[in-house]
Amino acid sequence: MTVLVPITYKGGIYRHDDIIELIEDLGGYIVQKHVLAQEVVLQSFVPRDDVEQIRRIAKPLAGEVKESPLVGTEIAVISPSLEIHHLPHTSCDIAEYLRQAGAKTNMVGLARGFGKRIANLNREERDVINEHDLAVYVLGNFAECIEHKFPVLQRGIEVPIVITGAPDRETLQKIVDPPVDGYVGGIGRIMHRFRRPEELAKLDEIVAEVARVLDARREVLANDPLSIFPARLKDVIEEKVYEVATLTHPTPVTVQMTGVRVKLPYDDYAPEFRALEIQDGVAIGDIAEVLPSRMRNYIIIRIKPYSETGVMV
Amino acid sequence: MPPLEYFTVECSDGVGGEAYERIAADVLQDLDLLKVIDKLHIYIDPVVPIFVAAGLLRKIPGAVRLRDMAAIRTEGERTIMDISDETYLAPLLTKLWSQFARENVDQPDRFTVVLTLREPVPGDLGEMVVADPRETLYRDIIYAMQYIAPEGFKVRRQYVKGNVFYYVASEDTLPDDIVETLVAGKLALLGVTL
Repeated sequence: MTVLVPITYKGGIYRHDDIIELIEDLGGYIVQKHVLAQEVVLQSFVPRDDVEQIRRIAKPLAGEVKESPLVGTEIAVISPSLEIHHLPHTSCDIAEYLRQAGAKTNMVGLARGFGKRIANLNREERDVINEHDLAVYVLGNFAECIEHKFPVLQRGIEVPIVITGAPDRETLQKIVDPPVDGYVGGIGRIMHRFRRPEELAKLDEIVAEVARVLDARREVLANDPLSIFPARLKDVIEEKVYEVATLTHPTPVTVQMTGVRVKLPYDDYAPEFRALEIQDGVAIGDIAEVLPSRMRNYIIIRIKPYSETGVMV
Repeated sequence: MPPLEYFTVECSDGVGGEAYERIAADVLQDLDLLKVIDKLHIYIDPVVPIFVAAGLLRKIPGAVRLRDMAAIRTEGERTIMDISDETYLAPLLTKLWSQFARENVDQPDRFTVVLTLREPVPGDLGEMVVADPRETLYRDIIYAMQYIAPEGFKVRRQYVKGNVFYYVASEDTLPDDIVETLVAGKLALLGVTL
């Protein structure tokens, strides 16, 4: 089986269709395409052995290919509230930086996540966070507060967690109980944009930490592969469900590590999706669960592993 | 470090204290309050938890009157105001409209306002108070303190009078005597007794 690696292609708009075709011909998948004025950014999965070839072909077009470990993941950036204390600087800068590394990030502002004793996480927030591949908690300045509130904020969260706060990494590791998957210290509540070199280095540290946690999760997934590669499922849906093309969302079908989120109403489209044939009589309903998402009225499709279905398409 | 006469953040958590120094500096700069605040002492104890900010203001300019911002002359029924400083032009127009009705107030160009009245203008028009920067300033200072304080600290007591202000907040109920026991001590560091 070919191993697909996540890459980002950045280049001019001129002849970028050639690159898209090349990636598709090589058996890769485009996860997301951004067109920004004269520039195109393609986030895609390509076979590992063909990365050099894409690089070579992209060279005359002044295209740049780089590996981005976060492509094909949906990450929740969680802020204790949507007040001016936490937004926009810290949370938005982190979310934006993760986006540059290829992830699809959603900001989750908790209704009552602030304070030491009064912090809370409600059921809807918990379910929304659990629909992501990873949660980044952007917390504040005091070790004392993080120690008290974090057990409440992570109650019921089943996805890997990376926590950031002003105390250093070691202190965070000591005070966070039960332990989480990743820690980045030295980023607290700040009231200005990340622009100094040491602050930008911290953002790189977050990306590295998130990538490390996700790689570990990918390794676990590789032991029992999914019945269909999520990016392939996205391609099938986009090809066969006409309504997806009419959506104005930036990512109407969002690729996750173990499934996809489709931004169509669940009540109207779920039966159609369950019956949608992927290949050789195998329907989505046979190899995945089509569930209502807690995010608006979207559909979330969770792909079952091969061990459960015995089918690989 | 903001260029205040006195600026200290007192905190039991070293890392948090440094972070709050930066936060306070950023907020005061963003809200353009560095020129207004003379001394500021911030005390934070996340264990209690409690946040106290005590400070002194510099001398603030008083109310802006019409004669401070315009030259006034009368030509028969018309009173012509040549605006020299248009900072408070919008509140001036609002005031004139409400006092003399909209149809009597005309603004032929950016720096001229003409008031046309059949009877003479009552009192001295030049003495009319157009705006009082102190009103919004006090609000801005309390907003800045709210902004600096940790977010969960929703129970608060605030005070601005003359050139002294304090702001004390917590997420738990504040004791009745908090001002006498804690805030007064912080104000004393600035040489103020309430």
